[in-house]
Amino acid sequence: MRGLRAVGLVALREIKERGRSRAYILSTILTLVLLGGAIVVPQAIGGGATTYTIGVVGEGGAEIVETADSLSVGSAEDPDEADRYEVQVFEDVASAEAALEAGEVEAVIVDGQELIAGPVGAFGGSVVERYLQEAAGTRRVQEMVASNEEAAEVIELLSSSPLETRRVGGADEEEQALRSLAAFAGLVLMYIAILTYGAWMLSGVTEEKTNRVVEVLLSTLRPWHILGGKLLGIGALGIIQMTLLIAVGGAAVVLTGAFEVPSVPIDLLVALIGWFVLGFLLYAIIYGAAGSLVSRMEDAQSAAAPLTIVALVGYFFSFAALNDPTGNVAVIGTYIPFSAPYVAPIRLAIGEISAWEMALAVVITAASIAVLVLLAGRVYAGGLLRYGGRVKWLEAFRSAE
Amino acid sequence: MLEIIDLHKRYGDVVALDGCTFEVRPGRMLGFLGPNGAGKTTAMRSIFGLVRPDAGEVRWKGEPVIPETRLRFGYMPEQRGLYPKMKVHDQLVYMGRIHGMTKKDAAAAADHWLEVLGLTERRNSPTETLSHGNQQRVQLAAALIHDAELLVLDEPLSGLDPIGVDTMAEILRSQARAGKAVVFSSHQLDLVEDLCDDVAIINRGRIVVSGNVKQLKDAAPIRHLELEIDGPVDEILSSLDGVRSAEVVDGRHVIVVDATTDVRQVLAEAERSGVVRHFVYSTPSLTDLFREAVA
Repeated sequence: MRGLRAVGLVALREIKERGRSRAYILSTILTLVLLGGAIVVPQAIGGGATTYTIGVVGEGGAEIVETADSLSVGSAEDPDEADRYEVQVFEDVASAEAALEAGEVEAVIVDGQELIAGPVGAFGGSVVERYLQEAAGTRRVQEMVASNEEAAEVIELLSSSPLETRRVGGADEEEQALRSLAAFAGLVLMYIAILTYGAWMLSGVTEEKTNRVVEVLLSTLRPWHILGGKLLGIGALGIIQMTLLIAVGGAAVVLTGAFEVPSVPIDLLVALIGWFVLGFLLYAIIYGAAGSLVSRMEDAQSAAAPLTIVALVGYFFSFAALNDPTGNVAVIGTYIPFSAPYVAPIRLAIGEISAWEMALAVVITAASIAVLVLLAGRVYAGGLLRYGGRVKWLEAFRSAE
Repeated sequence: MLEIIDLHKRYGDVVALDGCTFEVRPGRMLGFLGPNGAGKTTAMRSIFGLVRPDAGEVRWKGEPVIPETRLRFGYMPEQRGLYPKMKVHDQLVYMGRIHGMTKKDAAAAADHWLEVLGLTERRNSPTETLSHGNQQRVQLAAALIHDAELLVLDEPLSGLDPIGVDTMAEILRSQARAGKAVVFSSHQLDLVEDLCDDVAIINRGRIVVSGNVKQLKDAAPIRHLELEIDGPVDEILSSLDGVRSAEVVDGRHVIVVDATTDVRQVLAEAERSGVVRHFVYSTPSLTDLFREAVA
């Protein structure tokens, strides 16, 4: 009873003090604005169809523009939202170039042979440029095959998929795309969350040691009260921040119609949240212990460096799982506690994990957390009151009660 | 009563405590003295379980000290520790609550102590914006907030200006009067002599002197004699028995004699040979006892 009350007090202080700190509020707002902006802005700017005006001088240009137009309309899911290409005829090259420079036309085609375009952008020629080149190529092929039936057949074969594909298992394609996307977004969030909130744990613990308040705390609280309270408090702040992030991101997606959202994959959402909690606890406990080993903030990052590398390796495991969800790396990664929070949700998203595999992964990770609470808790207790240089993990472990 | 019983603690080859034993009684103030590195902080930390002694025991009211017992202790560590960004009042409330107080009681106690310490106006300031002396007052308040039965203060007077020292001393005195057991370490021996009922002097991890200040001084084997007269003095002094040391400071003779030496003869002879400007016969100061004890 007393223990729980103490843990609660520590957690509450953490939430109150950290939650109203300028750093937390600003970082939350900034992240939300960036995320919302990243979704809304491209939709607002790039949304809807654009009509490109192409200058044409001489013969042959207009046909290429027409082909580009019909290619664009033909390949778009919704013909009403396809980009359109239209022709503007110029008497001579000079006046067409002037119009190009004035931005009245996107490009100029001379005699169906030459393309005049604006300056090269960062990623090479513009979309319009590539489209016109493709249209010109298509145009020539069409002219060639118009007089040769065999060639026409070859062309058609090359540009199609002769085998009909039927998939077994997994969700239907549209839902699958959404699940993969959600899993990938969740994965990136998980990685960011583990590093961010791990860093809060790390600096929070070191801070209390640096300003010596820990000695006052430990005169009445047990080490596990402080460590447990910090985990709860920072975990709660993390969940609040992540929830806001997901809510704002989701709202932006739905409102702007950036993606079709047919249905929210509930199982995946639950798994992501559950694994977020497990992953956060697993890493944050060790980050907390690492923070207790150093006396100065400057040393905190280096004390935690090995753990940060482990988190990164775990993260990379999940890419292997994305590529091959039933491969050896993915299966092994499911049962290693440090990679499981990344790998298990990915495999669930792709639909390539069985219930017992998931259950086993949860049990292994939860058991690891339980063991870590004891081990890291002891390192924490031992490290806190040893000042001076960096305390070694084993030394801190041994010196604790 | 707090009993420190035969504490031993080694850090590798360094012996921090070597059979340290002393007591702190309710309603009394104990000055815990010793040279740097003698083991004062280690002994104080042992009371709070911050150091695990290799052997020995700490008892409160006859019972071994357990974590719950420490809820009734107040501690001011040598290295001050507060949350720099936390507001003063919030900080004190938090300290009260982790000692088991309700939010309401803790808030009231925080208000009370801020009032006593003259910090009411700073109640909502981040602690780091306070001056060093004021932060020290807040640190004291953090130790007092839960109305502890035992106060353990490691160097509470260091770094304070004379006014701050007076405030601190007055608060400690009133705490002792209210029946609290108070123990604090200090190097300001003249202050300890004024303030404390009892002292314990630790050297190399052992208590070398402990007891009531007045009794210790009375029991000392030496006395101080200061003498200044207009007239010949050498002859008078040469007749004095049991002189341990003698020196002249600004024309004043400062002599350490055995406690058994009868100095009335000296005073009588001095009055005969000239005008006595200054004559002091006293028990040794705490500083003398300290020097003697740790020599």
